[in-house]
Amino acid sequence: MDHLDRYRRIIPDYPLFCEAMIQPLPVCVRINSLKTSADDLMSRLDKARLSYRRLGWYRWGLRLNGIRPGLLIEHLMGHIHPQEESSMIPPLVLDPQPGEKVLDLCASPGSKTTQIAQMMENDGILVANDPSPGRIVALRANCERLGAANVAVTRYDGRAFPRYEFDRILVDAPCSGEGMARKDLTVLKRCNLKRSMGLQRLQQALLGRAVDLTRQGGVIVYSTCTYAPEENEAVVESVLDRVRLIDVDIPGLARSRGLDAWDGNIFGELMGRCARYYPHHNDTGGFFVAKLIKR
Amino acid sequence: MILEDSLSQSSLNADFKLIDRDLIADLWHSRFGMPPDAFQSFSFYRKARMIWMFSEAMLPPFRLETAGLRIMSMRKGPWKPTTYALQLLGRYATKNVVSLDEDGARMFIAGGTFEIEADLEEGYVIATFEGQVLGCALYSRGRLISQLPKERRRPDDP
Ligand SMILES: C[S@@+](CC[C@H](N)C(=O)[O-])C[C@H]1O[C@@H](n2cnc3c(N)ncnc32)[C@H](O)[C@@H]1O
Repeated sequence: MDHLDRYRRIIPDYPLFCEAMIQPLPVCVRINSLKTSADDLMSRLDKARLSYRRLGWYRWGLRLNGIRPGLLIEHLMGHIHPQEESSMIPPLVLDPQPGEKVLDLCASPGSKTTQIAQMMENDGILVANDPSPGRIVALRANCERLGAANVAVTRYDGRAFPRYEFDRILVDAPCSGEGMARKDLTVLKRCNLKRSMGLQRLQQALLGRAVDLTRQGGVIVYSTCTYAPEENEAVVESVLDRVRLIDVDIPGLARSRGLDAWDGNIFGELMGRCARYYPHHNDTGGFFVAKLIKR
Repeated sequence: MILEDSLSQSSLNADFKLIDRDLIADLWHSRFGMPPDAFQSFSFYRKARMIWMFSEAMLPPFRLETAGLRIMSMRKGPWKPTTYALQLLGRYATKNVVSLDEDGARMFIAGGTFEIEADLEEGYVIATFEGQVLGCALYSRGRLISQLPKERRRPDDP
């Protein structure tokens, strides 16, 4: 936890944050609208006398009480997908539409890919890319189980993804993962400034390539599950001359604003349009989300 | 420009061959009584023995690992639907559907074989439980043999 002390100044109610960090993460699932409806799914859970609660901010999200979702028959039928609550935010911000051409640049294991597929109603084209052969196995398995028929999987290094014009691109970048420490505190052992700076170079290259690949007026969402400004605001800043920043604010979810400065770097007030989601605000993992429109 | 794109596309994913939708719709209609409408918004590609169902008639011009869902495999004997295709499309079926009770569902999920009394033609059928599709089973001489993919099976512990 010591590593997180560097955020004492920027995270509001820091002691509450620390308290939340040692609580277990609630178990959440997303209902797969490609195969079932929210009403059907919930009536099946009711019939099995399972206890759950709907998310206030997202109609396809449920919190389960004392249930391992992987063991439910609804999991093998592809009606639900276990997914951390805050991980459901970026696709919502991306707001993909049926018929569009969408790229998920860092896609494995496909939680957000399959969420995007359901938002697109299995229509249009969703390219799900990840360079890691091992992780692509999980991506493919999730796409099959959830019935995503508009997904084409590719295996490029995202920095060198071939030229094309997409309507929307999600860059859910590889990151230090501090926001997932609630699930597994050992994540923090690997976190340090040097690692964040190394990741920053990769993240800037990925986001830069995503801007290249987006049509004019198209949408790019950049997200990480980490708090480090080096991997968040400092990455968004690197493309600011080519995009406009759009305010990220989801009704029903408390957010903090992106930072206007950090460690001697001035990002500017506009960076406040990005959203930081903290565990003690919504009882979730931590996430950073930026929404960009290509100029 | 357009020429270049279509050339690079055909060489990139030459192993995915576009096939006629009616051909697929006919096969599923005759086996499961599905209306051709169920396939209307998809295109179909053959790669080796597998048929893939994808949302668009044009594959995007990248080296593809997958193009949508594998829905059936063509082989010497009867073609075999995938469990995942049945989970997505099975609700449109009007025949060769078998509704399992709790014991049957448990055995199906365990990957088992069991006797069953049902009005089915020999061959691949759709196993359901409480109105929801579980997946593919093989019906042969009064017995049902689960075809649930191994990675989805769970041992039978009641
Ligand atoms: C945070 S995870 C993505 C999680 C995924 N979006 C989901 O919701 O299930 C980051 C992913 O980026 C991938 N990655 C690593 N280096 C990459 C690169 N150079 N280009 C594209 N993706 C990369 C990793 O393999 C990893 O799967």
